[in-house]
Amino acid sequence: MVESHIAKTLEDALKTLNSGKFRIVAGGTDMLIQNRSHTGMPIGYKDNVVYINLINELDYIKEDEDNVYIGATTRLETILKSENAPKILKNIIHEMAGPGIRHTATLAGNIANASPAGDSLVGLYVLDASIKCQSVDNTRIVKIKDFIQGVRKIDLKSNEMITEVMIPKYDFSRFVFKKVAPRLSDAISKLSFVGAIRIEDNEVKDLRMALGAVYMTVLRKEDIESKYIGQSIGELKNNIELIIEDYNSFIKPIDDQRSNKEYRKQVALNLIKDFIMKS
Amino acid sequence: MTEIKFKLNGKEQTLNTDPNRRLLDVLREDFKLTGSKEGCGEGECGACSVLLNKQIVNSCSVPLANVDGQDIVTIEGFSKTKEYQVIKDSFATAGGVQCGFCTPGMIIATQSLLNTKPRPNDYEIKIGLSGNLCRCTGYNLIIKSVKLAAKDGDGLW
Amino acid sequence: MKDISKSINKVDNEEKISGKAKYVADYTMDGMLYAMTKRSSIAKGEIVNIEYPDLPKGYFIVNHKDVQGKNIIKMIFEDWPVFTEKNISYLYEPIMLVIGPEKSVLVDIIEHIKITYKEEKPIFAWTDSVIDYHFDKGHGNRIFDDADEIIEHTYETGYQEQAYIEPQGFIGYPEGDKTTLVGSIQCPYYVKNAVIQALGEKDENVRVIQANVGGAFGGKEEYPSLIGCQLAVAVKKIKKPIKLIFEREEDMLVTTKRHPSKTVFKAAIKNNQIIGLKAHVSIDAGATIGLSGVVLSRALLAVSGAYTIDHLDVSGDVYRTNTVPNGAFRGFGAPQMFFAVDMFIEHIAKSLNFDPLEFRENLLVKQGDRTSTNGLFREPVLMPNMIKKVIDESDYKNKIKQYSQKGNFKGIGMSLFFHGCGFTGSGEKNIIKAKVRLKKTKDGKVHILVAAVDMGQGIKTTFRKLIAHMLELDIEEVVFNNPDTDFVPDSGPTVASRTMMIVGGLLARAAKEMKSRWKEVTFTVEKEYEQPDYIKYDELHFIGDAYPAYSWGVNIVEVEVDPVTYQVYIKKSWSVYDVGKAIDEKIVLGQADGGLAQGLAYGYLEVMNHKDGKIMQKNMTDYIIPTAMDMGEMETYLFDNPYAYGPYGAKGVGELPLIGGPAAVAKAIESAINKNIYKIPVTPEYIMELMNND
Repeated sequence: MVESHIAKTLEDALKTLNSGKFRIVAGGTDMLIQNRSHTGMPIGYKDNVVYINLINELDYIKEDEDNVYIGATTRLETILKSENAPKILKNIIHEMAGPGIRHTATLAGNIANASPAGDSLVGLYVLDASIKCQSVDNTRIVKIKDFIQGVRKIDLKSNEMITEVMIPKYDFSRFVFKKVAPRLSDAISKLSFVGAIRIEDNEVKDLRMALGAVYMTVLRKEDIESKYIGQSIGELKNNIELIIEDYNSFIKPIDDQRSNKEYRKQVALNLIKDFIMKS
Repeated sequence: MTEIKFKLNGKEQTLNTDPNRRLLDVLREDFKLTGSKEGCGEGECGACSVLLNKQIVNSCSVPLANVDGQDIVTIEGFSKTKEYQVIKDSFATAGGVQCGFCTPGMIIATQSLLNTKPRPNDYEIKIGLSGNLCRCTGYNLIIKSVKLAAKDGDGLW
Repeated sequence: MKDISKSINKVDNEEKISGKAKYVADYTMDGMLYAMTKRSSIAKGEIVNIEYPDLPKGYFIVNHKDVQGKNIIKMIFEDWPVFTEKNISYLYEPIMLVIGPEKSVLVDIIEHIKITYKEEKPIFAWTDSVIDYHFDKGHGNRIFDDADEIIEHTYETGYQEQAYIEPQGFIGYPEGDKTTLVGSIQCPYYVKNAVIQALGEKDENVRVIQANVGGAFGGKEEYPSLIGCQLAVAVKKIKKPIKLIFEREEDMLVTTKRHPSKTVFKAAIKNNQIIGLKAHVSIDAGATIGLSGVVLSRALLAVSGAYTIDHLDVSGDVYRTNTVPNGAFRGFGAPQMFFAVDMFIEHIAKSLNFDPLEFRENLLVKQGDRTSTNGLFREPVLMPNMIKKVIDESDYKNKIKQYSQKGNFKGIGMSLFFHGCGFTGSGEKNIIKAKVRLKKTKDGKVHILVAAVDMGQGIKTTFRKLIAHMLELDIEEVVFNNPDTDFVPDSGPTVASRTMMIVGGLLARAAKEMKSRWKEVTFTVEKEYEQPDYIKYDELHFIGDAYPAYSWGVNIVEVEVDPVTYQVYIKKSWSVYDVGKAIDEKIVLGQADGGLAQGLAYGYLEVMNHKDGKIMQKNMTDYIIPTAMDMGEMETYLFDNPYAYGPYGAKGVGELPLIGGPAAVAKAIESAINKNIYKIPVTPEYIMELMNND
C-alpha cells in the first residue's frame, strides 16, 4: 500500500520529498485521471504521494515591477479573478476548464503534468515564464521551455517541487488565444494557439507565437520570430508565405481519438496566418 | 489511515480513513449523502458537484486529503437554505428538470454562479453551467431556470 | 374545463432537485456484494482455456454453466448469450461475473483470470448480411426506364452514443424463492421475461422494479436485459444481494449504440421532376442482430421522407461485424434515413437549378397521399402552415439569400420530417398486447398500474394529469409509482413514442369506464390494446399502414463556420411540431429542446469510431456531447392536430424532435460553405476537406 502525507507547510513538504520517492498532488484533477481506479476505491496512485494543496503560504499572486509571481497552490480560479495576472493567461484559463475544475486545479499542477495539449503551457511559453523549483537545500529557476522536456517529462528532481511560476510583464499591442476543441467548453484541445505582437511606429518590436498539441511539447520557435522583428507591419504581412514555410516543417501533429494530423497541421498554419494578417 | 477533519453541511466531522479516497465516495458511502452522483468519474460531467468553501468543485476529482480543514456543502446541506428555495422553485417553474440525474449538480453550479455573479447575463450563465453535462434538456430550460432564479432571488446573493 | 396542455409543476421536481430521488447506485443492502465483469480481450475467436486463481472465501465466479434456463437473451431476435460460452464475437464480450464483498479483491481476481484464445481474423467490413429486405411502391425499379436523367448520391452516418448521464446498473436480491432486480431500465417486462427465460423460472419467481432512471434514450431498452439476466443468475446462485453498476468507461465501451449507416440513393428524373427513387440502406448491427432488423425497417419506411414519391425501389441489409452490438436509440433508424433523404432531395433541387424550398414544398406529403408502403396518410397534414410559421419566425427566406453569398460563412438550414408513432406494423397487436389497469381504493384514490417508465420524459406527471383531468380529481388523488412487475400489468416497453399515445390511450379508456362506475367504492378497470380497424400491415412484403399515426416537425437552424478552424457555432434554432395535442406543454417543449440538441449534436459534434473493434471515444472527455455553451437559443412552437385514438388527441413526442436535427444542421453548414455534405457528423475535419476542394 502506498504511503500518503498531507503537508501543510512548505518545509514539511520539502522534508517529505527529501525522505523518499513521492509523487506530488496539488489540486489532484490530473493525477486522479492518470491514476483512476474504481468507484468506491481509493485513487490508485502507484507511488507514495505528498499532498501540497493545503500549503497556504504557496497560495498567492504577487507582483513587482518586472514580474508576476504565482504560488504553486494558487487555484486557476484565483488567477482568473486576479487583477495582477497577465491577461493572456486569464483568457486561457477562462476557456480551458469548467468552473468545478478551475476551483480545484492549479497552474503549477498543469505545468507538472506536461501534456502537449495543456492550454496554459502555450501561454506560458509565449510569456517566457520561469519555474521555481525548490528542495530542502536548493532553489533554482528554470525557463519553462527547458523545464518541459517531452510528453509528461519535466526537469524536476525527486526531492524538488515547483513552488512558484514567474511571469515577466510585457505590453503587447495585440494578442490572440485560440483553443480549438471539439466543443466550446469542458474539452481537451485538438490544438491551441497563442500569438502576441508589439508594434511601435509601424514596426514589429516583438513577435511571439506558440502552438499546443502539434508537437511533443508546446511549439515556439524564437529563431523564426526574431527573423521578422524589426520589419514594418506591411513587410511582415507580405512575408506571410515565408512565415508559413518557416513553421511548416516544425509542425508535426499526430492522429488520435480527438482529431487527425492533417487537420491539426492545416489549422495551425491557418491560425498563424490569421494572426499575422489581422495584426 | 489519516485523521481528516472537515465541516460537512455545517457540522464538524472527523474521519480516520485513507486520504486517497475520493470525496464523492466518502460522501456517498460514509455519510449516505447520495444526492451527489457519479456520472463520469473524471471531472467532466459535474453530476458530483459540491460546494467547497462555497465554490463548486467536482467531488469525484477531489482526494479527501485536500478537504482537511475545509468546508463542504452538498445538495442535502444546501437544500436547507433560502437560496435553495429560490433556485428550486425556478427550476420547477421553468422546466429545468427531466431525468434528474444531473439536477443536484446543476443546482450547486447555479448557487456557485449566483454567489459570485448575482445578476449574470446569458453568456455568464452558460459559462457557469459549462462544467455540468445534461443529456435531456439541451440546456435551454436550465438556462431559463437560472435566469429566473437570479430575478426572483434578486438581493439574496 | 381547463385546457389539458396548460403546464403544471412536475410531480417529481421536489425529490429530484433536492437530491432525494434514489437511483440504482444509491441503494445499498445489508450483506450486499459487488459484481464486476470479466470480458474478452479479443474481437473474434474461441476460448481455449480459462485458468482461475484461488478464490478467497466469500468470492464467486458466475458464468454460462450457472445459467439454468436458456443461455440466450429473450428479445426480438435471439442471438445474445447471457454469458459467452466459447465463441467470442466482439471485444469486451462478457464471459463471467466475479462477485464478492471488496471491489479491490474483485479487480485482483479479474486480473489473475487467464484466458487463452484461439484468435480468428475479425470482420469489420460490411460483408456478412444477416437480414435483407426489399419492397417496391408503384413501378419500383422499372420507373428508371422512363428517366431522362439519373442522379445518384451516397449518404453516411456514424455511431451515436446515448450518453445518459447515469450509467447502466442493477441491484439484485433474493426474496424467498423469488429473484428480484431493481434497475435503471426502460422496459420492466423485457427484463422480467428475459430473466424468466435465463433462469428457467416460473413467472411468479421473478420480480423487476424500476429505480429512478437517469436518462435512457433507447440505451436502456434492450441492453439491461443482458446485465439483468447475468445478475439474476448470480443472485439465484449466491442467494445474497448483489450490485452491478457500470462505470462510464465500461458503459461506453460495451453498451449498444446507434447503428452506423450508408444509404445509396438514385433518383429517376424526367422533365426536371423526380418520378421515382431507388434506395439501398446498409446498417452495421455489430456482433449480434438483436433489434437491428426493426431498426432497418424503420429506416426503410422513411425512405421518401416528408415527401410523396409514387415509385420506389427500396432495399436494405443488416451487416454483422465483430464490433460492439448496436441497438435502440431515440429515433430507431429514422434519423439515419431522414438525414439521407432530406439531403438528397435538396441536392437534387440544387442540381436541377430549382429553389430547394419550393421544390420540397411541391413534393410534401398531403392528407390522403400514399405512404412508402402504400398505406394512407389519413390525418390532416399541417406542414405547409408549420413551414410558414417557422420561416416567418426565423426570417429564413432573407437569410438564405444573404448567406448564399460567398465568404460570409453564415448558414441556415431547414429539415422537414415525421415520425411514425408507436411500434412498426402489427407489433402492438401481435407482440406487445398491452394491458393497463386503473384501481380505485377505499380512500377514493386512483392508482395507475402500468409498466411505463419515467426516464425524464415526464410520464409520472402526464399520466397522473391525464387521469386527474378525466376523473376531475386533484392530481394528489392519483397515484403512480415506479413500476414493479409484482403489481403492474405488462403495458409494454417505454419505447417508440408509444407511451402517451398507446398506453395513455388505454388509460383514458379505462378512466372513462371508471368515471361511469365512480359510485362503486373500490374496483379495478383493465383495458387491453385493440388495433384500430384500419390498420392492416403485411410485414413480410411491406404493404399497408406501418403506423397508426404520424407526428410532424420542421427545424430551422442557423450556424456560423469559422473559416480558420472550420468549427461550427450553432446560433439559434426554430422548430414547429405537430404532436397531436400536448398533454403538458412545458414537458413537450422540454422534450423538443433535448431531442433537437441530440439531433444537432449527432449531425455536427458527436464523433465515435472504432479501431480494430475497440471504441476509441470511451469516456465523456473524448466522446463529445454538447455543453451549455454549444447549444444556441431554441424557439419552439406546437400545432394542435388531435388524433382520434390518442388521449385528448395526443400522438408521439419523444423521438420526433431528434430526427430533423442532422439534416437541418448539415444544410446550414452547406449554406455557410457552399459545398454539398454527404455524411454526418459534419466535423471541422470534414469541413476542411470539403473547403480544400475549391
